[in-house]
Amino acid sequence: MMGQVVMTGQTMQPEAQLSFLDRFRAMRETRFGAFVPVLLALAAIWAYFGLALPFYDLLSGEAESFRSIFLSPRNIYNLFMQSAVIATLAVGITIVLLLGDIDLSAAATAGVCAALLGVLVLAGVPGWLACVMVMAAGIVMGAAQGLLVAYVGIPSFVVTLAGLLGYQGLMQKILPTGNLNVGDEFVRGIARVLIPDLWGLAIGLICVAAFATLNLRKQAQRKARGLELDAPLALWGQVIVFSGLVITIILTLNAYRSLPLLLVLLVGITALLGWITTSTPFGRSLFAVGGNPESARRVGMKVKRIRVAAFGIVGLMAAIGGIFGASRFGSVSYTAFAGGSLLLEAIGAAVIGGTSLFGGRGSVWNAILGALVIGSLGNGLDLTGASAADKLMVSGAILLLAVAIDAVSRSGSNGGR
Amino acid sequence: MSLENKPVGRDAPPAHPPPTHLRVEGIQKRFGGVHALRSVDFEVARGEVMALVGDNGAGKSTLMKVLAGAYTADEGQFFLDGQPVTIGSPNDATDLGIQIVYQDLALCENLDVAANLSLGAELVKPGWGFLPHILQPLDELQMELKARKAIDRLEVRTLQSVRNKVGGLSGGQRQAIAIARAVGAESTVVMLDEPTAALGVAQTKQVLEVVKRLRETGHAVVYISHNMRDIFEVSDRICVLRHGGNVATYTTSETDPDKIVAAMTRGLDDGASRDDGANNAA
Repeated sequence: MMGQVVMTGQTMQPEAQLSFLDRFRAMRETRFGAFVPVLLALAAIWAYFGLALPFYDLLSGEAESFRSIFLSPRNIYNLFMQSAVIATLAVGITIVLLLGDIDLSAAATAGVCAALLGVLVLAGVPGWLACVMVMAAGIVMGAAQGLLVAYVGIPSFVVTLAGLLGYQGLMQKILPTGNLNVGDEFVRGIARVLIPDLWGLAIGLICVAAFATLNLRKQAQRKARGLELDAPLALWGQVIVFSGLVITIILTLNAYRSLPLLLVLLVGITALLGWITTSTPFGRSLFAVGGNPESARRVGMKVKRIRVAAFGIVGLMAAIGGIFGASRFGSVSYTAFAGGSLLLEAIGAAVIGGTSLFGGRGSVWNAILGALVIGSLGNGLDLTGASAADKLMVSGAILLLAVAIDAVSRSGSNGGR
Repeated sequence: MSLENKPVGRDAPPAHPPPTHLRVEGIQKRFGGVHALRSVDFEVARGEVMALVGDNGAGKSTLMKVLAGAYTADEGQFFLDGQPVTIGSPNDATDLGIQIVYQDLALCENLDVAANLSLGAELVKPGWGFLPHILQPLDELQMELKARKAIDRLEVRTLQSVRNKVGGLSGGQRQAIAIARAVGAESTVVMLDEPTAALGVAQTKQVLEVVKRLRETGHAVVYISHNMRDIFEVSDRICVLRHGGNVATYTTSETDPDKIVAAMTRGLDDGASRDDGANNAA
């Protein structure tokens, strides 16, 4: 027990015997350590496509001079835009993964919502109103599945598999031709509007200032209340890394066009969901249900309502993903959403980001990084002229690696399942 | 194991037994054809450790879950400080200050100690009343302070930080955290289900110290165990159940383990006699 007298078990192992694996597990338990594996993966992919391949071409004489197409501002811009829809869905899917559930119908829901959006604006409904209606439809479609999971007790895998099939059919019903152009100014504007260079930089600086202020204020409050403090190195490291990333990204985007509204919306929505999942009683209950549903029930959490709400949020994010997709492509097609690889890419992004399929661990920010990993792979392989077959196989290998990392870092705790 | 050797725990029994805090009468519970509780009476006072013993299937856990609201009694009356109350759900029990520490502890291993201690009763920052409660910002620092206080009160010295994830703690530390959570929730009645079952000697000793501290702080403690040594070390009274009914309630200082074991296994018909402190026979 709480003895200074603990004699048994592994607790007496001296620190020096910590293996690399133990350190890795410990790091992943910290708040920002969970980002490290996915950031490393991203860095490795970017280094390979952006530095190693051009360098190889230079050495082998295929290229006249060192030129990195992958890391050019133009390609980075496209990469971000390509990954945005995957990221939106992945952020939503992360919410149900936290509960230990899964949603296979997210891409089909996005497809139905996008198709509905196209039909509505074609019928003359104002763009903004159509978007609101479509988001409501997404919430209803997600929450309906949540009701079946929570109150009828059907496993989410089965409910959402049925949803996947049903919503694919529904999308075909709405779009008999399988294709519809979306010309509405409001809808297209989401992906087309660019924030002026200086404004984009200002937004970035505000984000950095807010992040630094919040962190330092928290540290000051901890000190004032006599609580243990974060290591200064970790604190300042976070602030510096965050600032560097934000400013670099914005400057890179400005170098090609400038910060697109779409990305601002995506980051804003993710920030809101990130705050809800980590800093509110609702978010805490998501983690509690994912970690130990019985425990959550016993302390009086409304587990069923939480499930329904989580599925409602996935539906909402799927609808937003549908709107983003329709806006970016200027059209709605069956293959771009329900029939394509979007679903698997979104789930893969969430898992590669480090969100556990077993529930109780993960973060919406990791989902965005995971989406960037998936997007970078596709983009990089496209640039090197790889075939679709190569892309599929590499994506599969990366996904497997991500789940293996999850499984290995889990087995340290007694709850390893 | 003679009574004279009994060291700590009952050294200073209250001169007058404290008034009953929680009392139940005539509890009946059936599961289909199984009559799990047959008109059971039970009581516990503040500042008292009431051991609840019985063979497997005697109805200990069922009675405890009825008291905690996890099961609803088919019949029976509940009194808290003499006032009739109803316990129909876990929330009812919590509102009445009745807390239970289950054998499986029910901790979330993916959350840290502070989060587990506030689970289901998260503190939120003031000034956000315009949002629904579940979306108000958590006051994590306050919860950490609360956790530190609860842990310090139970003297959990090996726990380095309340920001450690529970998944990385030892079995004994987890037990302490589960008890601390029950105590921290403004509870007056704390029920412990086999708290030492999975622990080594030293850790068991620590848990028993915690139970004694609970008595000192005026909690009414219900202690379920199979371990006679533990029971005789910490309890003030022992309530014996058999086949879903009361056998008797003994004053610990006036009985011995052999009599308790006899009452658990054979009832009062032979072996255990009624004249040694037993009262309230079924």
